[in-house]
Amino acid sequence: MKLKKIISILVAAVTAVIIMTTAVSAVDPYNTYNYDAWWNAVPSQAGYEVTNTVDLIDQLKQLSDPSSEFFISEDEPSKMSDMKDFFFTDNGDIYIADTGNNRIIKVDINFNLLACYKTFNGSTLGGEILVDESGNEYVASADDFKHLKSPYGVFVDNEGVMYIADRDNQRIIKCVEETKTSAKILKEFVRPETELYDTQSFYCTKVLVDAAKNVYVICPAVNKGAIMFSDSGSFVGYYGANRVEVTAEVIRNRIWRKIASEQQLASLTKSTPVEYANFDIDKEGFIYTVTEVANASTDAVKKMNPAGYNILEKTADNNAFGDQVSITYNGTTYATRLTDIAVSDDNFINILDYTSGRIFQYDERCNQLLIFGFDQEEQRGGFNNPNAIDTYGDNIYVLDGRNNDITVFSLTEFGRYVHEAIALHNKGLYEEAYDIWQEVLKRDGSFYMGLVGTTKALYNQNDYKGAMKYARLAFYAGEYDRAFEANRQDTLRKNFTLYVVLILILVVILIVIRVLKKRGKIPQKLIATGVSFVAEKCKNGIAGIVEKVKKGGKK
Amino acid sequence: MLYDMKPWAWVKHVIFHPTEGFEDMRWKKAGSLKIAFFIVFMLFASQVFSARYGGFAYNTRAYSDVFNIVPILVQSVAYYATWVVANWSLCTLFDGEGNMRRVAIYSAYALVPFIIGNFLSTAISYGLTLDESIWYSAIYQVGLWWSVILMVFGMKACHQYNFTVTIVTMIFTVVGMLIILILLALIMSLFQQVYVFFATVYTEILYRVRS
Repeated sequence: MKLKKIISILVAAVTAVIIMTTAVSAVDPYNTYNYDAWWNAVPSQAGYEVTNTVDLIDQLKQLSDPSSEFFISEDEPSKMSDMKDFFFTDNGDIYIADTGNNRIIKVDINFNLLACYKTFNGSTLGGEILVDESGNEYVASADDFKHLKSPYGVFVDNEGVMYIADRDNQRIIKCVEETKTSAKILKEFVRPETELYDTQSFYCTKVLVDAAKNVYVICPAVNKGAIMFSDSGSFVGYYGANRVEVTAEVIRNRIWRKIASEQQLASLTKSTPVEYANFDIDKEGFIYTVTEVANASTDAVKKMNPAGYNILEKTADNNAFGDQVSITYNGTTYATRLTDIAVSDDNFINILDYTSGRIFQYDERCNQLLIFGFDQEEQRGGFNNPNAIDTYGDNIYVLDGRNNDITVFSLTEFGRYVHEAIALHNKGLYEEAYDIWQEVLKRDGSFYMGLVGTTKALYNQNDYKGAMKYARLAFYAGEYDRAFEANRQDTLRKNFTLYVVLILILVVILIVIRVLKKRGKIPQKLIATGVSFVAEKCKNGIAGIVEKVKKGGKK
Repeated sequence: MLYDMKPWAWVKHVIFHPTEGFEDMRWKKAGSLKIAFFIVFMLFASQVFSARYGGFAYNTRAYSDVFNIVPILVQSVAYYATWVVANWSLCTLFDGEGNMRRVAIYSAYALVPFIIGNFLSTAISYGLTLDESIWYSAIYQVGLWWSVILMVFGMKACHQYNFTVTIVTMIFTVVGMLIILILLALIMSLFQQVYVFFATVYTEILYRVRS
């Protein structure tokens, strides 16, 4: 008897475990979340999933294989190291700035090696006095500039001309492919010799070229914006500086500045804007920038027109990017640091958070769509040093400079629905988007844009009651008010006769009472019986409600 | 004969006769402390009602999940109590004739229009769009200023002042309220520290005893 019991319990336990494990394996291995209408983080569906991680080791072994056409030298490392940037061309070629190995790797979209640029011929630099590693000074020759020194950024224009931010050589190289392992320098952009440029160094980290072949360069030491060169190599000016974030210190300094003497002024810290960390250019030629400062609230993300003005649409309730709350965990504070931005062909803005390894995706109007990726480096798809993000087609690629790999994110079914719906929504095709939003809401009932989209669709379909309901769920007062007004007008129009009759009856009753009062003939008895009759009727109903409340309370 | 009214009738009389109502009430020694306290409770209730209810577009705050009743309690009951105490303490020094009971009753009676305005404006916000918010604020403002006028005449009758002195003492009463509240906050934080001190001593002793 006892044995039987034990066996049955065991069987039950085993089946339970099996059922549970199968249930778990069906779930995405990452915890994804999203922000709801109150800006609380709530669990959500994964919009993207990791489909591939590539470390390119097999491909890069060809670099040290003498029989290969990519042969550079016997001891050329086959492992990428501390890559800072990569770039996707329109036809899917990927250029990776392999910063630690001072080379540029070119692979196609399936990660087959196309080229690896190690030597760059044709430098016009030289003659400067440099200091080598042991501290001796020597005159640099053109040969010293044949190789890259910590290339931090790479950009390729639509004609295949590469622009490389060669950081420690303090130059931007414009070059084209010569052989599979070397490139020919067309032009070099160095520190501008002008009084406008008052920084001593030119440690450039990122580079970008617009359709008019103007070159934009980010130097972390320069906070006046991007340094802009014309195609001929001359310094044009600064482009789109950030504004100063208004803090208590800035205000205090401003007040002090009014009353301080010259000497005191000199000792005051200057209020300077924060330089931006990275940028991207979309297909229409607008430049997007991100600022990598913990919880930056001023100009954290900008979309700039050619004149350098921020034209990003500021939605009413959200002007913030990334995670809004810093979390202190195990003595370390995690605050959002937006390190790179990538705008996809469908105008989705993807922002990479260096701290948490998360990618925040927004639509062109800065509505929060999807959040994915995380910093658990032990797990596949987790990041250690996420340095760069780019998009190609529907996929999102993230470059990790310590795991030395590229992670590929692909859209899930949920993410695809969100993208389809938001595309229709932003075109104003709310009704067409309605069915897709319903699919989204089936999977994540608190998806904010889904609620907003459904509200607008229902309003356009004249279902004002439904629109009011969803506007409340989305916590969207303006839209609620519109639906409410329409609904009120609707009910008034439909029940107009009823209301008029009711008002007339009320007026008649009042007149009768007044007349009776004047004559002193209010039929007290009649009213009393009427009232007691109604009270008797109501008693049962109230008792029923009380009973229900009591029962509900016991639950 | 004319002014032999029931307690609730006095409330109505006072509200609709702002200038003479309080004088009449003083002359007849009318006014009930019970009703006054009920009115203060209704003040609290109306504040809660306007914080937790109302049309969605008017009061989205009411539909969020966090609600703290303590600030509302302070804004109604605590403000009323400090008003009464401050006004009485001040006017006793300035030859005011009112005692504390009267100050409490007259102040409470004067609050009735504000309470009604508060309830009414919140209730009609269910039927208004944001474009028509003028009605919402009109009702609220009418109630508020009606109460202010009643308060002035109430205090004037209570202490038998002339108009200027009433206004001056009322302004100083507000200052007095601030002082009382600051002192209260100070005392509370001091007691907190004293409590923490004794708690620390207690834990310290406990550690010694145990080890």
